[in-house]
Amino acid sequence: MIRVLLAFSLAVAQPERIIVSVAATMQAALAEIADQYKAVSGVAIDLNTGGSNTLARQIVEGAPADVFLSADDIQMDAVARANRLVPDTRVTLLTNELAVIVPGDSTKRITSPIDLAGSAVVRLALGEPSSVPAGVYARKWLERLKLWTIVAPKVVPFPTVLSALSAVEAGRVDAGIVYRTDAIARSTVKVAIAIPARANPDLAVVHSAAVVRGAHEAAARAFLAYLQGPQAKAVFARRGFGLP
Amino acid sequence: MTAETWAIARFTVLMALTATFLVLPPAIATGWVLARKSFAGKALFETIVSLPLVLPPVASGLVLLWLFGRRGPLGRALDAVGIEVVFTWKAVVIAMMVISFPLVARSVRAGIEQVDQRFEGIAATLGAGWFQILTTITLPLASRGIIAGAILGFSRALGEFGATIMVAGAIPGRTQTLAVGIYTLVETGREELAWGLVAISALLAFGAIYVSNRIAGSRGTP
Amino acid sequence: MISLTIDITLRQDAFTLDVSESASVEVLGLFGPSGSGKTSLLEAVAGLRHPDRGAIKVGDRDLYSSTLQINLPSRERRIGYVPQDALLFPHLDVKANILYGTSGHLGTAKALAYAETVDLLELGSLVARRVQKLSGGEKQRVAIARALMIRPALLLLDEPLAGVDRERRDRILPYLMRIRKQLHVPLVYVTHDADELTAIADRVLKLEAGRVVASGPPSAMWPAATR
Repeated sequence: MIRVLLAFSLAVAQPERIIVSVAATMQAALAEIADQYKAVSGVAIDLNTGGSNTLARQIVEGAPADVFLSADDIQMDAVARANRLVPDTRVTLLTNELAVIVPGDSTKRITSPIDLAGSAVVRLALGEPSSVPAGVYARKWLERLKLWTIVAPKVVPFPTVLSALSAVEAGRVDAGIVYRTDAIARSTVKVAIAIPARANPDLAVVHSAAVVRGAHEAAARAFLAYLQGPQAKAVFARRGFGLP
Repeated sequence: MTAETWAIARFTVLMALTATFLVLPPAIATGWVLARKSFAGKALFETIVSLPLVLPPVASGLVLLWLFGRRGPLGRALDAVGIEVVFTWKAVVIAMMVISFPLVARSVRAGIEQVDQRFEGIAATLGAGWFQILTTITLPLASRGIIAGAILGFSRALGEFGATIMVAGAIPGRTQTLAVGIYTLVETGREELAWGLVAISALLAFGAIYVSNRIAGSRGTP
Repeated sequence: MISLTIDITLRQDAFTLDVSESASVEVLGLFGPSGSGKTSLLEAVAGLRHPDRGAIKVGDRDLYSSTLQINLPSRERRIGYVPQDALLFPHLDVKANILYGTSGHLGTAKALAYAETVDLLELGSLVARRVQKLSGGEKQRVAIARALMIRPALLLLDEPLAGVDRERRDRILPYLMRIRKQLHVPLVYVTHDADELTAIADRVLKLEAGRVVASGPPSAMWPAATR
């Protein structure tokens, strides 16, 4: 009888599940990590995914998320300004690189950035360049190369970087700019132009994470700690993310 | 209201008018067949015609995306002759046509069913062939249903979102309709501009309903 | 004079129309109470209804024959049909209604025929009117003119004087006589009024519940009737 009561009270003390809002590009990695985490801790992770700008807005409007993983600092800043973060929990979790990709069976000659302005590329898939992090990074990169004005009319904007990736996969566009981690995850696309971080240090792609104010702060902190631990790092590294 | 919002409104109205104009002939033909003909498989045909009405518009949009994408059955052929559909205004028109087609066809059917077939019989005794009967007797007498269908189809096309965003995307200046524009403006954090589009949409909706009621009320029964 | 053979069976809700008659007439009357199958018979002759079996022959033309697998569409039968409620096309004016059966523009011959028909039925003052503004009798006359314009081999009239009061009837009947005498168009004349047939028909078929129960000249049908 006493043993039953003890087990019962222990179960009630910990929440059974927390919600993690994760940017599209990290979603697959988080799914794998969440399974691991459930096995060791018993806490289930509900993943809410989308473009970081969409997720940030949801959190600002009061959506119940416990942890937020953003693909860039701009969206994380927006959530911080709205006072929705637990201040000392924000960390830079991962680094990434951009890549220009083409459909796996493409025969077009796209080997350097100037080719994006040429006739080989009629349509270019990007995350929405004014708000989706991958699109924002891509635009900054093209602006740095003074190619943005020529390339802009060719842009087909997408709400998330993964939908841009799908468009390249399906051959609906000639090329796209996504994260390197997205590109190497699929065999149906190939990297035409790599955009290494060291070449453009001030355009460094940084993915950050933080705990969102809410009812499950303790469990959220615990998971955030796990994300920075060795098991999670192994998963991220295997998928091509950089570790700061 | 900015120049941008007016441009989006103009584009949407132009696309909806084009779609309605193009969808009328096949919708009238279909409505006539459904109203006047019986044949094996008619029930199946009726179901297929009604599909875009019952399917979620995004589902229809996905089917169109597959059909007209560069690797799809139709897209491949069009690409070979240099015609691009997906992510262009043509996709906007096609999405609007597909979504409004069942509405127009059903309205035409109802209008034609109200035409006394005895008129058509008399016309036949006077020597008219099926095409002459259709164009000089049936369609003129069904004109109220046809016009109502056209207005209904036009209104639906104006507000079309799910299929449009799927197959035409949300490219500012090229495929952004009123509904898609509202969505993307909110998504990209420019909500105040979105309200301008909402206001225009409401105006157009009022206009369409008003015209529709005038036509329904004014024409007396012959 | 025209030879008519009507030998058909047509199943209906209340009864089966079963007629087998052959006659050479100028005016054939069909007499019977409402619902006895007179309209269905006319519709079958006009090609608007499909019999279950049989044959319809007008002059030397087979319009319908189940054994020979012939079923001429209405369009080709050259049979004028004036239904009971005229059924003028509501969206066309009187002139357009009358001219409906003529194709395209009016050549000289057709223009003359049009003028002649309008005169015959005294429709001159009505030609520009909308159909809705006509009286019952006027509508009938327009419907007759419309049917005459195709120069039919046979004209079917379904209760042309129904719903027309007695004194107007006496004014319209002469038009119908004129059609017979001046235009030489044979008529099949349906009515439930014996007096009309006595005046105009040379042979009468009496129908009851889809069957011909008597046939002969009007004088034989109604010996006591006055002309």
